[in-house]
Amino acid sequence: MEDFLYFFTFQDPSITWVVLGITLLGIGSAYVGTFSFLDKKALLGDAISHAVLPGICLGFILAGEKNPVYIVTGAFLSGALATFLSSWLRKNTKLSEDTIIATILSVFFGVGIVMLTGLQKSGNPEIAGLNSFIFGNAIGISESDLMIYGGLSLTIIMVLTLFLKEFRLMVFDPEYGKAIGFPMEAIRFLFNVLMILAVVIGIQAIGVVLMAALLITPGAAARFWTDRLHPLLILAASFSIVSGILGTYISFVIPQMPTGPWVVVFLSLIALLSFMFSPKSGIIFRYFSRKNYLRKTHKDHLMKALYKAREENKEGLSIEEIYELYPYQKVQINQSIKDLLKEGFIIKNQLFISLTSKGTSDAMRIVRLHRLWELYLNESMNIAPDHVHESAEQMEHLLTPELEAMLEKRLNFPTLDPHQETIPREKP
Amino acid sequence: MITQVENPVLEIHDLTVSYDQNPVLWNVDLSLPSGKLVGILGPNGAGKSTLIKSIMGLIPPTSGYVRIFDKPLNDVRARISYVPQRESVDWNFPASVLDVVMMGTYGKLGLFRRPGKKEKDLAMQCLEQVGMTGFLKRQISELSGGQQQRVFIARALAQQADLYLMDEPFAGVDMATETAIFQLLKEMADSGKTVLVVHHDIHSAMNFFDWVIMLNLHLVASGPKELVITEDLLRKTYGGKLNLLTKVTDLIRNKDFNPLKS
Ligand SMILES: Nc1ncnc2c1ncn2[C@@H]1O[C@H](COP(=O)(O)OP(=O)(O)OP(=O)(O)O)[C@@H](O)[C@H]1O
Ligand SMILES: [Mg+2]
Repeated sequence: MEDFLYFFTFQDPSITWVVLGITLLGIGSAYVGTFSFLDKKALLGDAISHAVLPGICLGFILAGEKNPVYIVTGAFLSGALATFLSSWLRKNTKLSEDTIIATILSVFFGVGIVMLTGLQKSGNPEIAGLNSFIFGNAIGISESDLMIYGGLSLTIIMVLTLFLKEFRLMVFDPEYGKAIGFPMEAIRFLFNVLMILAVVIGIQAIGVVLMAALLITPGAAARFWTDRLHPLLILAASFSIVSGILGTYISFVIPQMPTGPWVVVFLSLIALLSFMFSPKSGIIFRYFSRKNYLRKTHKDHLMKALYKAREENKEGLSIEEIYELYPYQKVQINQSIKDLLKEGFIIKNQLFISLTSKGTSDAMRIVRLHRLWELYLNESMNIAPDHVHESAEQMEHLLTPELEAMLEKRLNFPTLDPHQETIPREKP
Repeated sequence: MITQVENPVLEIHDLTVSYDQNPVLWNVDLSLPSGKLVGILGPNGAGKSTLIKSIMGLIPPTSGYVRIFDKPLNDVRARISYVPQRESVDWNFPASVLDVVMMGTYGKLGLFRRPGKKEKDLAMQCLEQVGMTGFLKRQISELSGGQQQRVFIARALAQQADLYLMDEPFAGVDMATETAIFQLLKEMADSGKTVLVVHHDIHSAMNFFDWVIMLNLHLVASGPKELVITEDLLRKTYGGKLNLLTKVTDLIRNKDFNPLKS
């Protein structure tokens, strides 16, 4: 708790810096990543982030210490080489895209690991810091590192904002872009540069192994919530910031704890929650709305049974009679009776159930919809009277008052359905 | 039966186009007058899309050239509008109908500049012309095929060009809408614009086009509708396999280099 307050009240200026840095990094990578996710190039991000490792080692060797300028430059160059190689191979060989990407990823990462192991054996005391590039350590970032990573993030954000329209075109319809004279190849090139930069800025805080997750997951999670580009970008950036800060907090509280894995844990959690709860694709949402719907159909059926009893001049039905009407549905019937009692649609006298006046009018509406729909199918869609019941059983729960009015008008306020039963209406 | 014209809007000179080294258009040579509604007819795989794409410079020609308004393509791109085949894009992209139609204004805006109110008004007007105003805010994946096609037509209209190249704009579009949009294209042609439409229905082609190009790997005909739509030429375009040409294509495909490339 103390740690929590200490961290989130930003008493420590170095924490403020780190949080600011991780925020910028989050926005930048989510921005770029969302575009590459939409462009179905998620794997490329993964390849690039693994491919920067040899560059990092090379930068370290040349500088002899953990100098951010050398390391960023090295990482950028080896990321660029990987990107260039992958597009060259795609153009000039018949290899499939995932083969190319998998090959590049493993070759570059393998070379990187070999170099890293070699460096560790060399006994240079500075080497300890280099390990953090694998899984990231946001807390270990110094102020001068932050200037570089933050500055690069800002550049990415600005360029993307400036070229939003062009990148939108690049993803949606690059051929059209070319047709209206936009330099689509240059735009694609610029995008690749931004993509490599986005990976490079994340290596210190998140690490090369998991950087791809920070690129792709925010956009993928946000896609569950919206169908528009701008909200998508904003949402993705927010997801990324939240997980970034939480991950940093964890590695602040627990010494030696890398940041990257925790950021990814939080991101995955957000993605999972989005998958479950977003109204568009959420399975939970769908589960509940289906359950509600089924509950409504059971209630409607009970009301209909009571109304039909009324039509046969019976006051109501005993529970036993209802059980007989719908065999094997005892649980649902009891639930419906409980619901309808609460809503004031029925009254229960010992074991005998009848409609209240409020219930009568609602039951009448359901029966009316059922019969109207049967008549509509029969008259307007030429479906035989003995085939219309099934569909009406479903539609009676769905038809809105608006559609009811249209049906009435269309059928000219009919009195009988195809089975010669009265279509009931309230007495004026 | 190829009619050449003086001062053409579009001049295609001896154009040969290949994919890899597999030629799919052979020595197409034609010229088009301005202010005409032009139909491009031909069976599947005849090279109609390829012709349109190489006019737009999307596929480099193996030999030959294209001149538009008597200038090279790159000088006049802003005056040309293009409707690709609907399948060419991913309709799951997060965008609304209005967003896509606004793309039609990007060409005139150029790089950096963002569309504003003026562009939005124009886009709205174009949506109205294709009868899609009611779908303004709809996510594009939630449109029917014909409606997506109409969005593409609206986008092309928003380009306010002088030459329109449309690749099967009416695929999946219902008759009433097709007729209405044809009427619109006709008015555009009457006001001096040139509209090229790849089309599959010979019956409506007879009704609406002024000029017809018939294609089947090579140019079969290009000229005023009355002269070109004849039983003989239709049979040449659609009937039978072009045995010889297909054999030659196979021969070239099996070579290790492209012998046609200069
Ligand atoms: N990207 C490509 N690579 C290789 N060959 C291609 C490519 N696109 C088209 N082709 C070939 O070029 C020929 C002409 O294709 P094109 O798409 O121009 O035909 P089309 O007349 O537009 O047909 P459709 O009526 O089906 O649209 C076809 O034989 C096709 O197989
Ligand atoms: Mg085609």
